[in-house]
Amino acid sequence: MDELVIILARGIGLGAVYALVAISFNVVHNSSGILNFAQGNMLVLGGLFGFFTLSQEPSVGGWLLLVPSAALFYAAVLALQGYVTLLPLRSSVEQHSWLITTLAVSVIIGAVILIAQGPFALSVKSPFPNFSLLGTRTPTPYGLAVLLALVWCGVLHWFHTRTTTGLAMSAIAQDLEAARAVGIRVRRLQVYAFGISGAIVGSAGFVAAPVMSISADSGIIYVVNGFIAAVIGGLGSNTGALIGGPLVGVASMWAAFEYGGQFQNAVSLALLIGVLMLRPQGLFGRTAARRV
Amino acid sequence: MNHPKWVGQVVFAVGVLIAGMAVAQAPPRPIKVGAMIPLTGGGATVGESGQIAVELAVRNINAAGGIAGRPIQLVIADYQTDATAGVSEAKRLVHQEKVELMIGPTYSQVTLAVLPILNEAKIPSVNVSGSERLTPEVGPYAFSMLANAEAQSRLMVDHAIRALKMQSAAILTDTGAQAKTAVEAMKAELAARKVKFAGAQEYQYRQTDMTPQLLTLRRSSPDALLLFTSNGEDTGNMVKSANELGWDIKIVGSFGATFSGPALKIAGKDAYKNLVAVNYKGFSYCPSEPTSKGFQEFVAQVKAFKPAAFDRQPLSYLSLWYDAVYVLKAAVEGTGGKTDGPSVAAWLEANSGSFRGINSGLTASKTTHFLVGPDALTMVYPDRQREGGLLERVGC
Repeated sequence: MDELVIILARGIGLGAVYALVAISFNVVHNSSGILNFAQGNMLVLGGLFGFFTLSQEPSVGGWLLLVPSAALFYAAVLALQGYVTLLPLRSSVEQHSWLITTLAVSVIIGAVILIAQGPFALSVKSPFPNFSLLGTRTPTPYGLAVLLALVWCGVLHWFHTRTTTGLAMSAIAQDLEAARAVGIRVRRLQVYAFGISGAIVGSAGFVAAPVMSISADSGIIYVVNGFIAAVIGGLGSNTGALIGGPLVGVASMWAAFEYGGQFQNAVSLALLIGVLMLRPQGLFGRTAARRV
Repeated sequence: MNHPKWVGQVVFAVGVLIAGMAVAQAPPRPIKVGAMIPLTGGGATVGESGQIAVELAVRNINAAGGIAGRPIQLVIADYQTDATAGVSEAKRLVHQEKVELMIGPTYSQVTLAVLPILNEAKIPSVNVSGSERLTPEVGPYAFSMLANAEAQSRLMVDHAIRALKMQSAAILTDTGAQAKTAVEAMKAELAARKVKFAGAQEYQYRQTDMTPQLLTLRRSSPDALLLFTSNGEDTGNMVKSANELGWDIKIVGSFGATFSGPALKIAGKDAYKNLVAVNYKGFSYCPSEPTSKGFQEFVAQVKAFKPAAFDRQPLSYLSLWYDAVYVLKAAVEGTGGKTDGPSVAAWLEANSGSFRGINSGLTASKTTHFLVGPDALTMVYPDRQREGGLLERVGC
């Protein structure tokens, strides 16, 4: 029983990181129909921010100041990426060059990390001591990732329901052409959405850095699991991402514990297939009418 | 105008002489050597060592006149720690680059995938892989500088029984092909020595949290954990996870666990408190022994060649790649300059013992193409380092 609680705690913590990637997927997808496959390496860049800014014995005060700094920095980076991605598109929904653009950005980030930092994974110290759970020491960043996912979900809910810009973004998500027809500056809001996703994924990478693999090739694990979490939860639904992420995290850890480490990655793909077969729109996704 | 007949003969003779001189003065044809190294992907950390070693060896060999008088033209291929990419790169090296000799790969699953291509083209190779499946039948022209998984496994089990008085053992490995053969070898050795097998688990390369695997293994309360790993990062992540669980288990590691630089960064200075590992005797020391001059020179060369990367290099591992190039040089020169697989393989099977490199005393034969035999191995404390990365032997 104790073992299952430990698996559950760590699975939820790891899943919260996937949930944050899924939420950042949602923000961009809702406003533009684009799936930004560079999100995994952007998360790693968030961790890299921690590596460069945190000392070997980081203080809590400094860390608290650096969380919004990481968010703002990567908001700017992602806004730039969004601008470049959207620039050649007449319609982000009808044209799909973003697929190559976002993948290319991911590859470039990986190559730059490899050239600049070498092949070794970088380790980042947390200013918080591990917390005790059933006689084991559990890394606090797992708990912080859960907290961050909840905070971002709350902030996004407030933003989309209480601010004019957020409401305009929601309008784009519902009907892009109608939103454009009523004078909403769609392209500008889409770039904003990229920026917001950057803030989410940058802060997530920074907070989870001590429990993440920060290297040139680790982005793929996070983008794949984040994408699976988003699809399982229902693409576009942040509530779904909050459920889908931990589901993937717990399932993969439980599979390793019960059946062996060789099944750790396979189980999340099996979960994805299962959900797509039984409920293609995901657990919290909505079906939509489509003109054919 | 008619010339006497002898004028034509003289002109012809002079022409032949000039042509002959031109041929004699032409630079020797370079010998193309392919090097399959994982510069990206999960194995990139060991790949950096491989690249440094091979480039250094090629530089030194070319400075000394090349292989059988022919300068080496090195072609490096990054196989991304992936068997599919490895096969594509091997085809490129063989069919497009037309290499005559091959160094690498290092990950057994990649080496096994690549060997049919090298066999068909009869290209001799020296890899750094340890799977038992790399037999002379599977790779008739392929040799390995890495101590094979079985030799390492036997030593690990033997040490755990003799030094740790182990009655039951759990096994933790990565998902590579070498590790899979190591699991079988360790289980067989445990059964032969009548030690209880408490279970086995696997982890993916670069997995930061190994608590699920360790929780499974902890269930059966083993006396020791046999860790078969291929790099220091995974070793560090494993030790960190064990520490977080509060599992104070004795660990006996494979050669990969000696790459202490990354492990100490991840798991802290006490990472090796409970861990000893397999290493090459030539890269171990007892405090009373002086460091050999040859080794000191090798260390100095590596440091001068890549000063920025020197501190993170496991020099014992680096030396395997370095010697791999020299082994092929010795074999080609031993056959009078032949580079075909059958000739080079026959020479190495009969003469590898005469090789004098950083690692000497090689023992390949018709029945095994692993150049380093079990007698060349010992157990070490990976965190007790002397300059150049020599590790203190257990039981000095």
